[in-house]
Amino acid sequence: MADRYDIRLLKPDDVYLSRGEGGVLQGVVDGKPYDELIVHRTFPFRHPSAYISIRTTKDEELGIVRDIRELHSESAAELRKELQFRYFIPQVIRIDSIQRKSDLWLWKLQTDLGPTRLAMRNLHEHIQYPGGNRAILIDINGKRCEISDWRTLDSHSRRLLEEVL
Amino acid sequence: MATLDPLPEQYQKQLQGKLLFTAKTDLLPNGHFGVQWIAITEEDIMVWHQEGPPTLRLKITQLKEARAVGAIGGGTLIVDTHEGPVVVGRYTAALTPVFNFAAKLLGALAKREELPVLSERDLPRNCPTCGNPLGEGTQICHLCAKKSTAALRMLRYAKPYRLQLVSAALLLILTTLVELVPPYLTKVIIDDVLQTKDMGPTLMLLIVGLGVTMLAMTAMQTVRGYIGMWVGSKLMRDIRKEIFGSLMRLSLAYFDRRQTSQFISRVNQDAEEMRQFMTDGVVFVCGHTLRIAAIFIIMCGLDWRLSLFALLPVPIIVAFSLTIWPRIGRLMYQQWRAIFRVNILVGESLQGIRVVKAFGREREEMTRYEEANADVMKKNIKTEGLWQIIHPLFSLIAGLGTLLIWYNGGSKVLHDEMQLGVLLALVAYLGMLFGPLQWVSQMINWVGNAMTAAHRVFEIMDTPSEVPDVDEPLPLGVVKGEVMFEDVTYGYEKHHPVLKGIHLQVKAGEMIGLVGHSGAGKSTFINLLCRFYDTDEGIIRIDGVPIRSISQSDLRKQIGVVLQETFLFDGTIADNIAYSKPDATPEEIMRAAKIANAHDFIVRLADGYDTRVGERGHKLSGGEKQRVAIARAIIHDPRILILDEATASVDTETERQIQEAIARLVQGRTTFAIAHRLSTLRNADRLVVLDRGKIVEVGTHEELLVQEDGLYRKLVDAQKELAQMKGAEG
Ligand SMILES: Nc1ncnc2c1ncn2[C@@H]1O[C@H](COP(=O)(O)OP(=O)(O)OP(=O)(O)O)[C@@H](O)[C@H]1O
Ligand SMILES: [Mg+2]
Repeated sequence: MADRYDIRLLKPDDVYLSRGEGGVLQGVVDGKPYDELIVHRTFPFRHPSAYISIRTTKDEELGIVRDIRELHSESAAELRKELQFRYFIPQVIRIDSIQRKSDLWLWKLQTDLGPTRLAMRNLHEHIQYPGGNRAILIDINGKRCEISDWRTLDSHSRRLLEEVL
Repeated sequence: MATLDPLPEQYQKQLQGKLLFTAKTDLLPNGHFGVQWIAITEEDIMVWHQEGPPTLRLKITQLKEARAVGAIGGGTLIVDTHEGPVVVGRYTAALTPVFNFAAKLLGALAKREELPVLSERDLPRNCPTCGNPLGEGTQICHLCAKKSTAALRMLRYAKPYRLQLVSAALLLILTTLVELVPPYLTKVIIDDVLQTKDMGPTLMLLIVGLGVTMLAMTAMQTVRGYIGMWVGSKLMRDIRKEIFGSLMRLSLAYFDRRQTSQFISRVNQDAEEMRQFMTDGVVFVCGHTLRIAAIFIIMCGLDWRLSLFALLPVPIIVAFSLTIWPRIGRLMYQQWRAIFRVNILVGESLQGIRVVKAFGREREEMTRYEEANADVMKKNIKTEGLWQIIHPLFSLIAGLGTLLIWYNGGSKVLHDEMQLGVLLALVAYLGMLFGPLQWVSQMINWVGNAMTAAHRVFEIMDTPSEVPDVDEPLPLGVVKGEVMFEDVTYGYEKHHPVLKGIHLQVKAGEMIGLVGHSGAGKSTFINLLCRFYDTDEGIIRIDGVPIRSISQSDLRKQIGVVLQETFLFDGTIADNIAYSKPDATPEEIMRAAKIANAHDFIVRLADGYDTRVGERGHKLSGGEKQRVAIARAIIHDPRILILDEATASVDTETERQIQEAIARLVQGRTTFAIAHRLSTLRNADRLVVLDRGKIVEVGTHEELLVQEDGLYRKLVDAQKELAQMKGAEG
């Protein structure tokens, strides 16, 4: 067994990921099959597609994938898909409206996963700026949406954003 | 029972067996937004995406277990079948409670256990009328319920002082009227005395009149200013008191999610801005509206056609104000945010000043501060710069009216159509008229600041406590100290439970030792017992009464806590010990200190019990602080004593002494003690071993020790090994 006090980085040949019949992520890690695997982003903001922790359902870490792109293509695709499920953070494509009603801010958004609405109690606690031109919107119920780069939004959305931020 | 979304008819027809549960997901299997219907009957689970046959159908007999796996921003309902796990549906975070319930229901069905009953708490909390999410712990929708605007709400604070405010207003009206006299007298002097060159007693009289009005004005202004100041100070006190009260009422969960230093500025700055609006602002608006009206009437009386010229710039000013208004609001919010960040930064760096110094990071802290500071400067220049433009611009526009009057009035005087005095009076009145108009910009500033401040303040006041007291709390009296945890589940974040299905019955007077790895949930366990947080599921009872229905002050009277992070207030040692019992006598304080084994070290201090401990108690050593905290917990003679690593920072000998003293004290008292040093818990009646939020073992030290592969045994062995190693070293 490898040094248990060190981080184990998985090589492409150490991990094979696939989707089980029931729609659950499964795979073979270090030659051992697992019928369900859990994935965690270790740096969800700074490195969303790198340093992915692969864990069993008992929350034991099997290893870390340094970069999804290093994996074999099928594994990489499944891993990307699973991350998208696990980190449900739709990307904002367009902001339809931002309204202030009494003490709630209501956002109507178009995202890559379809239209949605967010409700916030205020702006300064519900919006995070992890750096660059990104902004993460978190609504009262914990639903999140991400604006990956506000400069790339259309002018209507940008104007709305500028008005509030 | 709470109700669920009714299943559409086309799906109802396909059901077999008794329908137990239906739900609507808000995500499709591919993770996009969309609706799927899920129905659970006594026989199977069915999932539909569109009309027609179900996209997924599983027999209950195929199931082994079900779980709602929480993730970030959403979750997945997974059932474990004999063939492996199957995804039933995916949903966003808003629906987490519904699917947690669905998982429980499926689990119970699979294992043929008693079925859980749906309660209100399992449903997403949306307002029934407008569909927007409801706040925690309330059924009243903010959108539908509250109509009164921030301005009106603010004025409510002025209500107790309405008498003073009305007299201030009356004085203001009087001043305004009196103010209007001098230009008129000037006109009379010019037209009737100077022009006619008829030096009589009239001039003297008029001058005396002018003098009297000036005196009256000064007197009234002084009185009015004094009243304003007086009411203002009182208002400030009221608002600050209420903000602080709201802060104290809020639950710990509220502060977990926020930097606390921000509140320092909120309490002071926002209150000041609100006061400014209410005293100066309101008086200003009322006074000046009145003044404008009065001046205008007089001007029209003098010459209405010329007066109309004066009106010309007014629409320009109004239009200009309206366009500039949203921009100003935005800039002001940005400015506030920048200042807010600087405040947080200072607060944080100073609180952590020891860490900063320990790692030699002063320079980096300065850079961080410098960045935030520069940002404030930029925002300041932007906002204040705008004022510097607006202000002269308003004066200029207003001045245009004067030019028009001079020109038209001047030619009229030259043609002898008008007397010189009238023209001069008109110009003087016009000056007085535009004074307030120019102040419109200042008004915008005040109102803007006050409104943003008011919104922030009301936001704090309106945040419902997450651990609300029930309307009619049950009287508790003196409790025996029986504690009961019934299937308690709790997570600081809803989707990430930290304690799962905790079931524990503790007899009155029992001493329970909580052990487990770091992060197992021991502190969380006692946080729930103190009701710092409310359970997500399950009930905690003291003497059979659910703690939710006990008032919190009653509850805390029964409980004495030593928290893992010792916090002492800046005050004397005696103050800190007597914190929960301010009327404690010196004997009581000393007795408590003696039990906590703190008496001797305190007496040795030069200032004894009157030693000031400094901010957060930093003048005491870690172990000394802990002992003071223990004394603080035992002084009010609680029926339930909670010690979270209370003796972790003292040496073993001192710990033994404290333990002996506590052992005497805990007799007849229910005690929960947490310790990593297992020897600390040797007096415990029972040990409860927690692992990742679950109780894995319960029993006495001896009982648990014989379980060869038990967690407790492992912990004990590990510590023995360590102790031997240390022994060998020494
Ligand atoms: N205020 C909080 N907000 C969010 N998560 C928290 C909070 N406090 C604790 N947690 C999390 O809850 C879990 C249990 O924490 P808890 O403090 O109960 O552990 P513990 O058993 O007391 O550990 P220790 O022995 O180290 O004190 C940990 O995973 C921790 O990260
Ligand atoms: Mg702890």
